[in-house]
Amino acid sequence: MILYDYVLSASCYKVRLMAALLGVRLDHVAVDFHPGREHRGLAFRALNPAGTIPVLVDGDLVLTESTAMLVYLAHGTAWMGGDTAVAQAQVQGWLAFAARLGASLGMARLHDMLLYAADIAAVRRDGVACLRQMEAHLVERRFAGAIWLVGDGPSIADIACFPSVMLAPDGGVSLDDYPSVRLWTRAVRSLAGFIEMPGIHRLHELKPAPEAV
Amino acid sequence: MISQAVLGEWYPVAMAALVDAAGRRTLLLGQEIRVFRDAGRIRVTADAGDLAVTERFGHVWACPGTPARALFTIPEADHPGRRLVDCGVVRVKCSPLRAVENFLDIAHFPFVHTDILGAEPHTEVNRYDVKIREEVDEVWATKVHFYQPQAAKSAEGGIVTEYMYRVPAPTASVLYKTCPAMPGEWDVIAIFVQPLTEELCDVWPWMALYDDVTPQAELIAFQQMIFLQDRSILENQIPRLLPLDPGMESPTQADLTSVAYRRWLKRRGLTYGAQMVAA
Amino acid sequence: MTRAWVANGLSRDLPAGVVMHGAWHGQDLAIWRSASGQIAAWKDRCQHRGMRLSHGFVRGETLSCIYHGWVYGTSGACGRIPAHPGLVPPSAIRAEAFACCEKDGVIWVAPAGTEGDVPDLAGLHPVRSLTVEAAGIEAPGLTGMEILQGSVMIAGQTVALGLVLQSLAAGRTAVHALCGGGGDVVAVSRWLEDLRRRLERGVAA
Ligand code: FES
Ligand SMILES: [Fe+2]
Repeated sequence: MILYDYVLSASCYKVRLMAALLGVRLDHVAVDFHPGREHRGLAFRALNPAGTIPVLVDGDLVLTESTAMLVYLAHGTAWMGGDTAVAQAQVQGWLAFAARLGASLGMARLHDMLLYAADIAAVRRDGVACLRQMEAHLVERRFAGAIWLVGDGPSIADIACFPSVMLAPDGGVSLDDYPSVRLWTRAVRSLAGFIEMPGIHRLHELKPAPEAV
Repeated sequence: MISQAVLGEWYPVAMAALVDAAGRRTLLLGQEIRVFRDAGRIRVTADAGDLAVTERFGHVWACPGTPARALFTIPEADHPGRRLVDCGVVRVKCSPLRAVENFLDIAHFPFVHTDILGAEPHTEVNRYDVKIREEVDEVWATKVHFYQPQAAKSAEGGIVTEYMYRVPAPTASVLYKTCPAMPGEWDVIAIFVQPLTEELCDVWPWMALYDDVTPQAELIAFQQMIFLQDRSILENQIPRLLPLDPGMESPTQADLTSVAYRRWLKRRGLTYGAQMVAA
Repeated sequence: MTRAWVANGLSRDLPAGVVMHGAWHGQDLAIWRSASGQIAAWKDRCQHRGMRLSHGFVRGETLSCIYHGWVYGTSGACGRIPAHPGLVPPSAIRAEAFACCEKDGVIWVAPAGTEGDVPDLAGLHPVRSLTVEAAGIEAPGLTGMEILQGSVMIAGQTVALGLVLQSLAAGRTAVHALCGGGGDVVAVSRWLEDLRRRLERGVAA
């Protein structure tokens, strides 16, 4: 499987993270998204007419939406979030929610970091609305003794939402106001096989303090 | 008031290859400027008129006052066989001087660039040499050694890497590191920092490498990965301005380059982005 | 007059081994809980290069700065500088500690050496914290200044409520909510969401 990838993209990271957690090996092709804008070039458009990253290629299959890639990678595993109608519908709800996160918090980040044009006040406001919605949900999940968005274990719903949320401070949106969201991000970062991306630090505490050398 | 010393320096304002007729509207030392191509020539204008401009190392440099000296040189930029890589811009909410100081620092590698440029337990920073080379008026650190799990894109496995650091201008720094592909040569990595205001900057990393193999996109990705790991640190140092009051922070022997850099800034009056006394 | 003790969240939101950001009248703080459960609040600034300690990490009974890994013990003293593993850090290198205590599931901070007790909320249990962007906080059925208390009908039940207010900035208030035993916490949480919408709509109107 080949992932057309960009190191600073939250959407590409979603797929890298999912693959790492599943132990699936991906071959990476780096796309010069910034400053080269290679994803807008003719060669890349031949692969993905939408001119977006990531793109996942497996034989004849070409996927251009990151949530579809999560489904493809996680199919048949517990990461799908359970097979009841309720669980499946809830997972789908969070996958759609992840797109809202990208359009708000993700856009604020592109604006603050890579100088994209955006109505920064509006995208930050939308981002805060998303974080509040998530916090309210996770507060109730914690009352029920759970920490994941859907069900008793981590699922593609969590992986779809995690990058934009964790990177919110890159776009000038603090996570200080959302204690349950913060504990949820810790739960994601504590998963076996977790990998970081620039802007997301690993939990150094998961490794014991080194002996003095 | 911005001092003559600050106004007389050269600052990066754009990646030359990306400047078109429409150009880029941006800030330099708090002043609005425009960088654009006019009949093939790059111009930088402010309300008061044209700024002195020079094009070098893939970037456009402007001087808002009367240039005190010519732009510094990086001789390696002209070495045949080196690949010159422009890495694009990244905006950071921090003092431009803090961005440079972070670039001079190796002690953070194990914690911020974990498993790439450093890793616990290999955290020790041994003594190295630092001096201000008076003949060129630049800060230099040499014989810097540090254990790195993955020193460069072309490096496999951990090695002790040697570095030299150089500050040729208040908001630019150049580092030389052992080149895994070409023993005896140095890879050159620089950051050029555009001071938008005292607390906001655009950072333009740039490289001159011996590497014919790695695709351009991967070289850029590696450099952006490293710099973006630093960004969340830089945006969370308090105060935002670089303190020049020695009582404000606690340097150790590992920080001798930063101590020299701060002293050099103070001596030359290059205090845009600095805080003189504790607030 | 500046209030000495300021509520900074709920104990349930700061488990062992976690550090978070806090504030005392505009002063940024790092509040953390060690592996054994000891809580501490410090100025949110590492002595070395000014990095926020709230971005750090907790290992056992220590808090480490994320930038260069300086290790601070619960007393605030720096015990280890990773760049110089053989060096005993000078005693002047220490985090600036605030007083920090917990009562009835609420975390309170005050300047070091502050005398006097934190407010009593006996009989109430922590629910959740949320931030409200509105000029003032008034809730029907509740009275008080910095702690609103009283009984409210929520989902057909009378619930004893306590809202502890923490002013974050002009027009920004953190509300740390508690309710009486037997209260339906999910219903209370939804009631709080509704209260916030009303308060913020009031500002917009
Ligand atoms: S700033 Fe905290 S260890 Fe350097
Ligand atoms: Fe760094």
